[in-house]
Amino acid sequence: MTTKIVETQDLHKIYDKNSAKPYEALKGISLSVEQGEFVGIMGASGSGKTTLLNILATLDQPTSGSVEIDGQDVTHLTFNQMADFRSKKLGFIFQDFNLLETLTARENIGLPLSLQNAKAASIQTAVTSAAEKLGIADLLDKYPTQLSGGQKQRVAAARALVFNPSIIFGDEPTGALDSTNARELLDTLTHINQQGVSILLVTHDPFSASFCKRILFIKDGKIGDEIDAGDKSRNDFYQEILEKLGTFEQ
Amino acid sequence: MLFKISLSGIKARWKDYLVLFSGMIITTAIFYMFEAISTNDKFTTGSPVGQSAKFVFIFGSILLAIITLVYVFYANNFLMSMRKHDYGLFMMLGAKSGVISKLIILETIAIGFISTIAGIVVGIGFTKVLSSFLASQIHMSLTDFSAFYMPAVWMTIIMFLVLFMIAGFLNARTFVKTSALQLLRSGQQSDWKQPKAIRLWIQAVLGVLLLAGGYYAMYDIRKLKLMAVGIGLVTIVLGTYFVFNSFFVMLLQGLQYSKMNAKGLNSFTLAQLKFRIRDYTKILSVVSLLFALALGAITVGTGFQSMVPKLAQGNGYYSVALTNPSSKLKSLVGDIKDKSTVTYQQKVDPKAKRVYYNADQLQAQPLKYSKFTDRAALKSRVSTATVSDLKKTDSNAYQELWSLQSPITKSFQIKIVHANTFNRINVKANKLLLVRANNVDASAPTLTKITNIQAKQYGSSGTQLMAGSFVTYQLLKGIFGSLEFMGIFLGIAFLAMLASCLMFKILSGAASDKIRFDMLNKIGTRRSTLKHSIILQIFGLFTIPGILGIIDVVFGLQMFSRGGLLVGGAYQTFGVTTAGFLILYLLYFMVTVMIYSRIVVPKTKVEK
Repeated sequence: MTTKIVETQDLHKIYDKNSAKPYEALKGISLSVEQGEFVGIMGASGSGKTTLLNILATLDQPTSGSVEIDGQDVTHLTFNQMADFRSKKLGFIFQDFNLLETLTARENIGLPLSLQNAKAASIQTAVTSAAEKLGIADLLDKYPTQLSGGQKQRVAAARALVFNPSIIFGDEPTGALDSTNARELLDTLTHINQQGVSILLVTHDPFSASFCKRILFIKDGKIGDEIDAGDKSRNDFYQEILEKLGTFEQ
Repeated sequence: MLFKISLSGIKARWKDYLVLFSGMIITTAIFYMFEAISTNDKFTTGSPVGQSAKFVFIFGSILLAIITLVYVFYANNFLMSMRKHDYGLFMMLGAKSGVISKLIILETIAIGFISTIAGIVVGIGFTKVLSSFLASQIHMSLTDFSAFYMPAVWMTIIMFLVLFMIAGFLNARTFVKTSALQLLRSGQQSDWKQPKAIRLWIQAVLGVLLLAGGYYAMYDIRKLKLMAVGIGLVTIVLGTYFVFNSFFVMLLQGLQYSKMNAKGLNSFTLAQLKFRIRDYTKILSVVSLLFALALGAITVGTGFQSMVPKLAQGNGYYSVALTNPSSKLKSLVGDIKDKSTVTYQQKVDPKAKRVYYNADQLQAQPLKYSKFTDRAALKSRVSTATVSDLKKTDSNAYQELWSLQSPITKSFQIKIVHANTFNRINVKANKLLLVRANNVDASAPTLTKITNIQAKQYGSSGTQLMAGSFVTYQLLKGIFGSLEFMGIFLGIAFLAMLASCLMFKILSGAASDKIRFDMLNKIGTRRSTLKHSIILQIFGLFTIPGILGIIDVVFGLQMFSRGGLLVGGAYQTFGVTTAGFLILYLLYFMVTVMIYSRIVVPKTKVEK
């Protein structure tokens, strides 16, 4: 039996609820991500996918509905509990890398563990192992400004991986990369996923999405459609996504 | 149209503009306050050392003008960091650079104009409050002094408008020279580079050596004379710069290699601080030097003041002498706490111009007198006068007794005679009451009342001849009072300016730091941890120049005490003034932390 890593029930998010013009960004979203899944969420700008990601990532809270991550209800946590939860359970990879340029790659990767007050020696071991997985072991003492875009994104991926999170959230992680580097990162993510780490990717790029195993399409704050890669080749799945997008956005 | 848009841009960021305005207003106010005091002839000529004080004021004015320049420059940077994006966008949309230039110059000058006018108004208030407060603290009267002084108003307006005009044109130039794209992205760029180890070492060693050289020069002022000031100025300025650029960076680097670095946000905090210090080298050097100047000014000022009782009491043991005191005078004497008194009988023969004292009485309750053993160190010894001492007119004991005579008998000869002879003199005996107040400062109000009554009694011509060391005390107070006033005033002005400068420099970086704090929030840093890191970072930036500044003062005071300017050692008020100074500095630190946190700490998005 598979366990659910993420499960949401009837999520609603209304901005400016008490104003004259409230805006409902999410209109009842229910979804689930199972352990070891690689799920993509696609949608146009303004479809609500960033709002959804922020809520799943405990950076924001829903107006109503529930979110469970790794068996824990995260909708009623305090600000500190949310922060602690993120630092222990959730890995992030952002479009703009979000590395601290004043820290070396090693320090950047180790930061989440430092925040959990891990011992210096165990941080070193974890950092080295994460760096080896991503092929950046020889770059650890460099500063972000000395790295290429692709290398930076791999450092960011290592930072997301270093504390063995329950799930990794990617917010357009290939958005700032050229095609070669984007391809490399996606292969890396697939590799990480094959080792059993769940990944949830938010993107509007069909090529990135084609690396996922299942894709949810969001439109106007609701899940409009869902497709599964099944046994299809990645190329076939890519074509399917393109077709779907063609009809879905109409 | 663009004007309207740019105005709405200001409205949208009014909180940041509020910070900018309040900073500018305070700077202008301080400048005005300083000008009002230093250029005010009524004040400077009215005080005993007014002319020499004026020279120091002019010197202070120039220093203040330089630091104001630096301040306006930083405030302007802060302004531009807010506006770059907007103006970049206008240019992207096709606004001509000429139009943008005009807008920028207009905006900068408008801000300058508003803050200057508001600053002058606040400055007049400041001047009034501070001058009357200080005057009451050091018992000085400022009867002719008015807080509103037209020449100072003009001076301030001209100074700031010129500065803002220069700033406006510089800003316009930046915009014309940079492309719209660069302007849009300027907030995201970082120019952090890891400094080279060898260069760090050379600068650190050079910096420490230069500082040591400067300190030594100030210490050895007796040999080097005025050269000490010159050498000290150059070596300390350079040394401070190098030390900030390298020594502290290396210190932080050392901490980064320690185990501590892996704890919590320490790695981030240390790295930020290291980055900041190199980025802030110039401002931190200026802050540290100003800190030293400000603290030094206050310490020297109060040091002069604290010399007064010692100088006065070294000149004479008894504070006042009262011949046949009235009951009112007696009751005033009774009000003095912690005192010793003695009463002698005296008989005056006006024809022979002689004052007679009873030798038996002087033996039974001997007169005390004080004498400087080391005038430079303000050390004096109290001795007991024997009758034979008192018979020698060139002895210190005789001088003391002579100084205690009333103005009427001051020119008479003092004769010490046996009891029998004394009793045979057929004149009514006077009572001479000698009062020694052990704490002159505390008893000053009562002693002043006594001398005022005496002055009336003997007429104005007698004032200078009045008996006792309290007259000397009053005279010295008048001289050193204005020096102290000036020292404290200068000190506070410098402090306010340097702390505002530092505050602005930190705040102007807040916008780009926001991205970093956002990221830390995303990876799960508690808000309290973020705040802790902020406090540590800002604390470091405030403390490091502060420590260096205090060390500067410790050595700088050597010039005053060894150079003989501040007799009795310059360090006696050092502890108290430093403590008071640090409290003010701490306030600035807290305000900076508050504003900075408000800008960078991500707000919770929870909205239900």
